[in-house]
Formats: sequence, C-alpha cells, structure tokens
Amino acid sequence: MNLDEATRGRIDELIQGSPVTLFMKGNREAPQCGFSAKVVSILDDYLGDYQTVDVLSDGEIREGIKVYSSWPTIPQLYVKGEFLGGCDIITEMAGSGELFEALGVDPPEAIVPEIHVADDAAEALRQAAAQNAEPGQFLHLDVSRDWQTSLSMAAQTSMDIPVEANGVTLMVSRLSAARANGISINLVETTNGMGFKVNNPNAPTLSEMSVQELKALLESKENFEFIDVRTPNEFETARIAAAVLLDEAEYQRLSGLPKETKIVFICHHGPRGVNAAEQFLSQGFTNVHNVTGGLDAWSAEIDESVPRY
Amino acid sequence: MPIEIQPEDGPSAIAEALRTAILEAIPEARVDVSPGGTAHFEIRVEAAVFEGMGRVAQQQLVYGAIAPLMSGSHPPVHAIDRLECVVG
Repeated sequence: MNLDEATRGRIDELIQGSPVTLFMKGNREAPQCGFSAKVVSILDDYLGDYQTVDVLSDGEIREGIKVYSSWPTIPQLYVKGEFLGGCDIITEMAGSGELFEALGVDPPEAIVPEIHVADDAAEALRQAAAQNAEPGQFLHLDVSRDWQTSLSMAAQTSMDIPVEANGVTLMVSRLSAARANGISINLVETTNGMGFKVNNPNAPTLSEMSVQELKALLESKENFEFIDVRTPNEFETARIAAAVLLDEAEYQRLSGLPKETKIVFICHHGPRGVNAAEQFLSQGFTNVHNVTGGLDAWSAEIDESVPRY
Repeated sequence: MPIEIQPEDGPSAIAEALRTAILEAIPEARVDVSPGGTAHFEIRVEAAVFEGMGRVAQQQLVYGAIAPLMSGSHPPVHAIDRLECVVG
C-alpha cells in the first residue's frame, strides 16, 4: 500500500508542528472511541498542552497515518517526530514509569500522601471493593490535574503508592500523590442516595474580591476576563462598561481558555457569581474570583452613576 | 500468495488468514489467533526474530504482515484487541 506524497507531507507537517501529537478519533474534550479516550486520560495527567488530530474528520489522514507508521490502529502517539506507540504501549509505559522519560516530564517526588477516611466511608469503601474486585485488582484513588477525584478498581502498577487509611488500602498513582495529600473522604447523603464526599485542601478555591480591589484591577494593565452573570435584562438596566455578559457563546469561549486565565465574576449581590465561579473551578480553572457584594456594592461604594435596582 | 477472504467467511476462517499472513512474514513464528467480538481478534506471536527489537518494531512487523486484512472500506478485521509479541 502506498502513501501519496501530498498526504505524507501533511502528516510530516502535523508531526513537526508540536512536540507531542496524538492521532485519535474525536478530540481531547470529546474522544469518540475508548482507546483514544484512554490515551487522552493518560496524557492529560502528564501534559498541560499537546496537539490532537481527529482522524474521523479527515479520511486521507485516517488511512494515511496507518501506512505512515506501519500501524493499523488509532490512536497513535508521536513524540518529537518519533512514533511512540498505540493505546496498549502507552498504557504499559505509563504503568512502568517509562512514559516520563519518553515525554520529557520530570517524575514527581514519590511521597506517601496522607488520606483521611471517615469510619462509615471506610466501611462503604471496603464493601465496594469486595463487591467489584477481580483477582489482582485494587481500589485506586486519583486526583487529576483539573482536581477531579476518582475512585476505581484497577490492577496495581509500579507507579502506584499504597496508602493505608482507616483500615482501607488505597492505591494512589505517583502522578496524583501530591494532589491527593491531605484529602479527606466522608460519606454523605445525596439526592441519589449515599455518596462519597471528597474534601481536598490542595484544590484551588474561589477567591473573593472587594469592589475596591476590582477598581484597582480595572485601572491596572493586568489582563483578565470580567464576566457579568446576571440576566440580559439586568445587564441592560445597570452594568460596568468593561464587563461582558455571560451567554452561551461566551461560556464556550471561556471554557476553551487556558486553565490559569484570571476570571472575575460579578452578579447583583454575590451568590450567582459564586455559583459561576465554582462551576469554572470544577472545570479546572485555577484563578477564579467573585466580586463581593456584586454590582450593588459597586454602585454604593465606587460609582453612584451605575443605577441601583 | 494473496489472501482471499469472502464476506461470508466466519471468524475462524479470518483467524486462519491472519495466522497465514503472519507466518508468511515470520516463518519460524509460533502464532495463536483467537477471535474476540465481531471482526475483533487477539494475537500472540512468539518468534526469535523479535530478539533485540523494541515493542513498537515488533508489533510493526506483525501489523505490516496483516495490514491487507485491515484496510479498505469493509475490512474483514476491524481491530486487534490485543497483540502480544514474545521473543521465542
């Protein structure tokens, strides 16, 4: 099977375009196949930024990359122009620790994280583990780069650090050990029955900003996103000129920004701003602020030309 | 020898075609092919030629041999769920 020169050239360009390129089905936000999703979830743990190429949207690349790499399956990972492997090989390299060197990432220090598990949560974890365990599988706790905590059953790899917490053994990947350090797990009642509630002191939290701080920020040259989360009607009635109303398109734009982007939310009195800020924190944003007292405080303390309502 | 697979051929005939294709490329290999789901297979190849090769190169050798069975618009083989290469 031959690869035409034009397609070969396009693939060369894609691979040279970024130190790490993943040919996959779908994209990083929405993988369209389990194998692609698996490699994305591994890479997300190691790298903030890498390039993906969706083969489903380009038939020439989809067939061409198979010939180019002498590899018939998708996903395919290229690092610094070299083919590293598909899903099985990347998973294996992640488990053995080889992936650090291959991706040029320094392995994090192998600390044993301290994990607090409440008595009833420990009992529930033991039961869940006993019900779902297949031979050789252990309870894993991981905290992703965007601070999502997950509990799962999986085989132990050389990257896992076993942690004893209230009689429960949890495997914590070396990648998430520092993020998991100090975490506490409680059992709470939710609308769907009993569930685990995780409190992570390392996770970034919402920071409150006074209207005086907001004024200073607006007068500074610092770049930030200033987002008004009230209704369009309220926005018409009274607003700060620099603020942008949060609508669907604006939400999509914000969601695609780098996770360290500074975002300041404002509403009428504060609570809606807190909700919006927490929603963006849960997406992995780390520099998220709410204006205390909202627009009403701004009118009262900074600029009385903004109508109060 | 070209490999002819008919649409009505069942998993065992396709598995046999995979085995034949691999043995043509690596005659001394010991090859096990087991059918999984529809058009999915698991393959184990044991061969002396793998000695000193990286995992990617080992698998590229096998995949290269079976590529004709995995290309085209309706290939008889959709996916290899597991490919194990062992130095033997």
